[in-house]
Formats: sequence, structure tokens, C-alpha cells
Amino acid sequence: MKHIDAAGHTRGESQYVDDMPQPVGMLHAAVFTSPVAHGRIISLNLEEAVRCDGVITVLSAKDIPGENQIGALIPDELLLAEHEVHFVGEPVALVLAKSYEQAHRAVAKIQVEIDELPVVTDPRQAFESGAIIGPARTFALGDVDTAWQECAVVVDGQCEIGGQEHLYLETQRCRAIPLEDGVLRLYSSTQSPYAVQKAAARVLGVAHHKIEVDVKRLGGGFGGKEDQATAWSCLTALAAHCTGKAVELVLPRHQDMICTGKRHPYSADFRIGLNQAGKILAYDVKHYQNAGAAADLSPAVLERTLFHSTNAYFIPNVRIFGASCRTNLPPNTAFRGFGGPQGMFVIESAIAKAAEKMNKPREQIQRLNLLRDGDTFPYGQHLDDVRAERTWDEAAQSFDLNKIKQATKTYNDDHFESKKGYAVMPICFGISFTATFLNQAGALVHVYTDGSVSVSTGGIEMGQGLVTNIARIAARAFGISEKRIKVESTNTTRVANMSPSAASATTDLNGHATILAAGQITDRLKSFAANELGLTDKSRLTIVHEKLLDGNRETGWDWQKLVQTAYLNRIDLSAHGFYATPGVWFDKQKEKGNPFAYHVYGAAVFEVTLDCLRGTYEIDSAKIVHDLGRPINKLVDIGQVEGGLAQGLGWMTLEELSFDEQGRFLSNSLASYKVPDAYFMPDDLQVKFLQNVDNPAGPYGAKAVGEPPLMYGIGVFFAIRAAMRAFRPDSDLTFDAPMTPERVLLGLHEQEREVLVTKI
Amino acid sequence: MNTQIEISVKINGKQYSAAAEPRLLLSDFLRHELGLTGTHVGCEHGVCGACTVLLNGEAVRSCLMFAVQADGQDLLTVEGLAAANGDLHPLQAAFREAHALQCGFCTPGFLMSLLPFLQDKPDASEEEIRAALSGNLCRCTGYQNIVKAVKMLLEESNSDPA
Ligand code: FES
Ligand code: FES
Repeated sequence: MKHIDAAGHTRGESQYVDDMPQPVGMLHAAVFTSPVAHGRIISLNLEEAVRCDGVITVLSAKDIPGENQIGALIPDELLLAEHEVHFVGEPVALVLAKSYEQAHRAVAKIQVEIDELPVVTDPRQAFESGAIIGPARTFALGDVDTAWQECAVVVDGQCEIGGQEHLYLETQRCRAIPLEDGVLRLYSSTQSPYAVQKAAARVLGVAHHKIEVDVKRLGGGFGGKEDQATAWSCLTALAAHCTGKAVELVLPRHQDMICTGKRHPYSADFRIGLNQAGKILAYDVKHYQNAGAAADLSPAVLERTLFHSTNAYFIPNVRIFGASCRTNLPPNTAFRGFGGPQGMFVIESAIAKAAEKMNKPREQIQRLNLLRDGDTFPYGQHLDDVRAERTWDEAAQSFDLNKIKQATKTYNDDHFESKKGYAVMPICFGISFTATFLNQAGALVHVYTDGSVSVSTGGIEMGQGLVTNIARIAARAFGISEKRIKVESTNTTRVANMSPSAASATTDLNGHATILAAGQITDRLKSFAANELGLTDKSRLTIVHEKLLDGNRETGWDWQKLVQTAYLNRIDLSAHGFYATPGVWFDKQKEKGNPFAYHVYGAAVFEVTLDCLRGTYEIDSAKIVHDLGRPINKLVDIGQVEGGLAQGLGWMTLEELSFDEQGRFLSNSLASYKVPDAYFMPDDLQVKFLQNVDNPAGPYGAKAVGEPPLMYGIGVFFAIRAAMRAFRPDSDLTFDAPMTPERVLLGLHEQEREVLVTKI
Repeated sequence: MNTQIEISVKINGKQYSAAAEPRLLLSDFLRHELGLTGTHVGCEHGVCGACTVLLNGEAVRSCLMFAVQADGQDLLTVEGLAAANGDLHPLQAAFREAHALQCGFCTPGFLMSLLPFLQDKPDASEEEIRAALSGNLCRCTGYQNIVKAVKMLLEESNSDPA
């Protein structure tokens, strides 16, 4: 099935928030934000801005009728700064004007006097001063401290992992429409309508039911609109509330990049111990997460770092420590992988360093330690139906890893200033929200008398193909054509209390809820039809290709007739389905449990060619074997794998967040922040799905696909590193990501660093 | 500051006359004055290509042009691609077939950048296709299917006995 919006997208007819016709008299909002990363506000002068052409009013913290608080996990984030500012780009005031240009012109006239305070941008420094958010966490298995004695080799190291800008192509935005009786409708570009609804109600001091949030689609989210959309939606709601007018807030790209949180940078220490054969016996890791100035989702992201710190490996003795460290950067947030990638990067670094010390191929140690049935994760979950070895072996075989190794060696023997490197990257990613209560979803399904069907769920379409998947699932659940299904916008008045569209679980959860709702309706229809047709056993009835069958026998009734007759006989043709993932739980006291419904496995093989004089590289190939269970829609799923991979590659190579010591974001436009383009992608990219596999926990046997493929990208770091080592076998390379060409060059020519840095 | 300049421009074969401030961007003019919201704005400074339209047949970035510069010119936007009877343009159809889109925000820009390229290079190699695409950013797809869509289209039209 093609992407359901394909025609609309290619015609330019699909509507995003600010494509909807503008209501008459709609105001435009622009945000004034803090120019410094930390300080006390001495004075805020709005007068000149208020007098600007077209300006209706300028709002600040004192105009908030309810609570000035939007922190979802921990109440530590104000909507508008009051006495202090904590990061560059923190909202301070909101201008409302007749036009977008007028609003922005007036913002430039706002004056704020700030008494600057010391700025912290380094998570370790924050940790040392005790500035952590939520409790520090430790997962443990076995006994690390005594295990070192059994190890033949022990290595220590450190990783510095960069963050990542989401760069959704549609910046943050919201349009608020005042309706009657104090109700506001918010068209928000959010992955989490309920989070917006709750926070807006809190800020305005009204009940949740006074705020209606409606989302048709997002021009990309990737986690950047899970919690970070809330502030902008609340500001828009505040503006509409205060003026009684429709208001739209669209962040300019530059401001979006400066003000919004990103993937967390991490700093980590590791120690790994192995026996002579390469079996990992012990692993000890400390993660210092750069959380930024407010909690946002950081503690939850940290938790997933801990969950995925051993990636696809079984290690009998493990200690994983992590702390969310408060710094003066924008509040960092969810981003595809949600902390998992950083955890995996460190274990892969540890293995690389051990392999180098032991003079073994890295992939030999990786393969030897892969998870197997019966193993246990450090968080207590027991494993069955593990597909780590299977995906690895299939990748090694079908992409001929031995040949790649040989070819790399031959090439490197023959070339001096150009070197090749390869790497294998296995992944294991847990599916479910790790906050158990979020693993619930609702769907509202209506069947109309012409046989057409409307489905509302709590899931958000952000390009991942949710709407296409839901339409397919609904059609299958009813036994009717996909053409009859319409998936509605996501709206808080139709589905309440929805979880964010995140954790790769959106299709799983909302798909299940849709199946349950459709099941209720078909059940009623079958009871009714059995009665009408004089059949005693309604369980023999099925709807196949829109025909009602009794066993294999046609009944002469089709979908249309069934629905119409049922309606005339007063059968309810609507249903609400509710799904809660069974069997998932986690005990934070013990740090043990069964947090995931299942895991996704896969393995990727990368080859790169490095220009050792320039530090530039090409990704020659990326070849993946991925476990999807029984895919719902292969076309859509391959797109998710390739798109996730592209982001993972970007994170590891080109995409560098650069902050100065004053906490100012320097790579703050697309001109200075580089993301992969078509040319950058591997020349040879192959994606294979594991065949003949099932997943009883997924809708119709499917596995979630959104996040896991991003983590394949980590492999390219190690492929580049391998090529660097082919050029400089003895150099002590760092584990600092991203591996930008600049970093490669300096890594290769450390001795000449002085010369290079002054000459560059 | 409030001087308005009367401009008249042909867009998708239709003549439009409107008043525009001298500094109004062409992208904003199309979107907000004329309601042609298929042209999207991603970066606002000429990098992402989402706002690409054709000016007298050449791909231009409408976020880097003033509306007044389009006075008297002939524009094509994504809304003008499909046939009058509603049939998708072959390029649109190829994007659909190859699943060359996800969130769709970048899609109009890719289509408009590709249109003149395909006319100039009906037998473009994969290398040339990638080079042509590298002026447009897509954060969702990883580009593979976009390249595939273009290759599909070229193969089709080259095997057409037209
Ligand atoms: S919006 Fe014009 S190039 Fe990005
Ligand atoms: S489809 Fe989302 S940016 Fe290209």
C-alpha cells in the first residue's frame, strides 16, 4: 500500500498548521528570548515594543492567569522567565501583532537587563557541583568488582558523544482559535497532544476539557516535538486567551535551532574486562548526560541509556551508572533512540578498545558476546526468541563479511594515503514506553451507513506512515477495502489522555486499539446477521473481501448490505477500543523488571574509504539485515529503516552542535549545521528483512520500526576509525563523536596538530 | 515602509495581480497573499530547497527572492504540476510509487527542483541524479526512494516508444 498521503503531498495539497486558511483578524506571535545563558533579570522593558506598528500587546510572565509551569516530568520549567534565565533562547516575552513581520520587528525593540551568573555547559562540571536532575540511577548484574580478577584484559576509556539537532523540516508552530465558552482549539505541530492539552490548561488555569488539541500531521518530529512542542503551543494558547483572537506562532528556523532542546550530549567513562578468548566478563560504565537547563524528558531518556548500555551483548557482571546533569543549554529532549544510541556507543567503544589491545578483530569479540535465548539483561528481563546471532550471521553471510575483510586488507596494502575500513554494528532495542503507564492507547471507530469508516486514534502522523498503517490495519480488521477507511486527525475530544507518539510504539499501540474497536463492531454485526440469516453459530461468520461468509459459503450479504440492514435494526456502528500492553512492568526501587514487550534486532555492515591527507571520507556501503517480524507495510518500513539510518549516520559524522563557553549555540542555521544530503548517503545501501519470523506481541505479527535503525549509524564511526588505524596503527584515537572530517584530520595528524590548526 | 507595489505575475498559467511590500519574500507572497501553500518554507535562507518554484522554467528558491522580482514573470508552483483533469504528473506519480516521501514537507521542493533537471538530462546517471538532488534536504527518507523515483521515471520514459 502506498503512503496514504502521497497524492496530497505531491500536489502540495496536504495541510500543515500554517497552510490552513487564516481566520479573519488572526494575530501573529513572536517570542523574545534570553540572550544570555544564565542570569538574574533586573529589568524588562516592553514599552518601545508595545508602541511599534501593528502591535496589539506584549505578554510576559505576569499575564499568565494560571500556573507559570510547563515541566511535565518535574515542575522545573517556566513558560515565561520571571526572575532568572537559565539558557540562551529561554522565552521571556511574547509580542502579538497584526503581521508576522511586525511581531518580529517589535521583538527587536524589547530591552532586558540581566545580571549574568556563571555558565555551566559541561555535564561533568555540573555533576561535581551536585546539579543533577532526578536521582542518579544504577543498574547492576552479577558482581563487577570481583569479576576484574578473572579477566585477562581490562581496558578503561572515555567517550564524548555529541548531541543532534532534530531539524524537522517544519519548525515548531501552533495556531490557537478561541471558541465559545472559554474553549480554545489548538492546532499544534506536536507529537503529544495530551501533553499540550494538560500544560495549556495548567497555564491558563482551566479544566482539560476547555482545551482541544487537534493534529493532522507534522512536517517531521523525530522526538523534537514530543515535549518541546508544548512551550510554543502554550504560548499561543496564552496569547489567544489574553486577546480573544486567533493567534499563530511559527518559529523562524534560526530561533527554532537556538531555543529548542536536542539529542543529549553525553560524557562517559568505561571499563571493560575480557578473558583470553574475548568473552566479556565485566563492564562498568558511568554516563553523564548533558540534560540542559530543565528536566524535560531527560530522566526518561537517561533511563533508556541504562537499558541499552549493553546493546546486543550478554555480559554477566555489569554496573551501569547514569546521572542527568543540569547545565545552561536548552533543555535537551527526546530524539529517535531516546538515549539508547548513546548507551550503545559507549559499549561499542569499549569493545573497540579491547579489541585493539588484544589485537583481535573487533567483530570477533562482538559476535562472541551476542545475546542468546535464556540470557538476562542487567534490568532483569529474561530473553527468549533472541535474533541477535541470526541477524548477525545472515548479514555476515549474505553480504560476505570475509570478502569485505579481505578486500579491505588488500586495498590498504596497496594504498598509502587512502585507506578503507569496515565495521559491523548489531542492535537490540526494546519496544514499549519504559514508563509502564504510557503503554495504553484508544481508538474511536465509526462505520457510516454507506459502509465508509472513520478511525480516530491517539497516534500522530509525522511521516512515519502511521495513518497508512492504521488504514491497513482497520481494513484488515473489518475485512473490507482500504479505500473505505479514513483516518481522522488526532483530536483530544475524540481520544482522551493519549500517550505521545514516541518509543516506536505508535503503530503497535494504536493499531491494537483499532483492532479491538473494529472487533466490537464486527462482533455486533455478526450476531445481528446470524440472527437474520437464521444461523445458530455466529462464530462461523467472517467478512472476507467485503463479503459475509458462513464458513466457506457465501451468504449473499456484502459489507454494504450488512451495514445498512444493521443500521435499520438499530445496531450500534461505533466503538471505542482500548489497548494496554500486557506483561510490562518495571520496579524503579530494585531497578529490575520486564519493561519491554519485545526487542528488535538487526545487524549492519559498513565500508568506508578515507582520504588520509584531507580527512574526508566516503561511505561506500551500508548493508543491513533487520528484524521486522511480519511487516505491516514493507514499503513504508524500508523508508523508516533508510531514514533512521541517514539520521544515525549524520549524528556520527557531519552533525556537530557547537556551543561556546557562554552557552551560545554557534551552528545555528542550516548553513553551519550540516545534515546528510543525497550525495552523502552510501553508494550501496541494502536493506534485507529477516524472513519467516513472527512477533506475537505486535499487531498482526509486526515489529516496531521507528527508532532502531538509527543505531546502525554508530557502525560508521567504527568503520572510519578502522580506516584511521590502518593509516596510523599506533595512534591513540579518542572516542569522540561526531567523526567530522575535521576531527578525522586532527586525529590522523596529531603530531602535526599545531601546524594544521594554525594553517587551517 | 508601507509602500505597496502592484505586481502582476502568471502562476500555473493563471494571471494574478496583487499589491506587495517591496521586501515581501516571494515564498510569503505565494503562501500568504495568494494561498498557494504547497510551496513550503524550511530554512528561510536558501539551503533546504523546500521553497523551490520555477521562474520562467528555471528552479529558484522563493525564500531568496522578493515578490516584486517576479513581476511580469511566469511561475510554476507545485500546485500547477498535475494535469487539469487531476491526473498526477509522471514525476508526482513516480514519487508516490517509489514511496519517495514521508512527512511530505520537502516533497514540493524536490519535485520542482527535479522538473527542469529531468528535461535537461533525460538520461541522467545515478551520480548525476544524486548531484541534482543534493541541493534539497529531506530529513525523513534517507533519499534512497527519491533517487529510486527519479530512476524509475527515467527508465519508463526512455522505454516509452513516444
Ligand atoms: S526555505 Fe528556501 S531554501 Fe529553505
Ligand atoms: S519527507 Fe519529511 S523532510 Fe522529506
